[in-house]
Amino acid sequence: MSMLCQARLQEERKQWRKDHPFGFFAKPVRNSQGVLDLKKWECGVPGKDKTLWEGGLFKLEVTFPDEYPTKPPKCKFVPPLFHPNVYPSGTVCLSILNEEEGWKPAITIKEILIGIQSLLNEPNPESPAQAEAYNLFKKDRSAYERKVKHIVRENPAP
Amino acid sequence: MSDADHTPGGPAGDVTPQASEHLNIKVTDNNNEVFFKIKRSTALKKLMDAFCERQGKSPTAVRFLFDGQRVQPNDTPDTLEMTDGDTLEVHQEQVGGGPY
Repeated sequence: MSMLCQARLQEERKQWRKDHPFGFFAKPVRNSQGVLDLKKWECGVPGKDKTLWEGGLFKLEVTFPDEYPTKPPKCKFVPPLFHPNVYPSGTVCLSILNEEEGWKPAITIKEILIGIQSLLNEPNPESPAQAEAYNLFKKDRSAYERKVKHIVRENPAP
Repeated sequence: MSDADHTPGGPAGDVTPQASEHLNIKVTDNNNEVFFKIKRSTALKKLMDAFCERQGKSPTAVRFLFDGQRVQPNDTPDTLEMTDGDTLEVHQEQVGGGPY
């Protein structure tokens, strides 16, 4: 791992421990030998209050490339999430996570996770990433909302 | 305890300096923040009960989370690998439900 990448990730974790948004979590995982792997984080994003997603906690695997923070991390819902802007693999499609679009090295993990939380209730139907959620969102909004409520019940906060 | 935290050049953000026996822990319910000083080996039940008493909450009406995981009464800062300045979150106990 490059020095820059490592130093930045250590600082991100330190800042997160000091202060983080309520209901979120973000921590490096341990590999099979029990050693922390700073380039792979396990994160949780709660649904925003007073939205369809309230009461749910959605888990993500965030993977940092060697070129981080020049290049953005990959954020993937595990298991994949029913959402118009999430690929069937679970990978989140969001401008701030795209090197050619909105990514800037100054964007913190906190900002990324808050961005993903906003995306939950503000899907962008102009740029769909999966057919299932996109089609339902476009064609039958009440069925879409029922499905989201069901997913929230399946992914309750701990 | 693993020696993973002491890998040379390892993740400083997660290294627990063993110097002090006491930790300052922030407990927040997203509204109130209370700071506690607690020994590394003390069961967190003590802190959770103290928080509930101070806030006039029943311990059965709330749940405590650390790093996204529910804290059990007999967990200690040591078993959870907490470090000075870490935060415990207090969430209201909830039960899901729906018309289907």
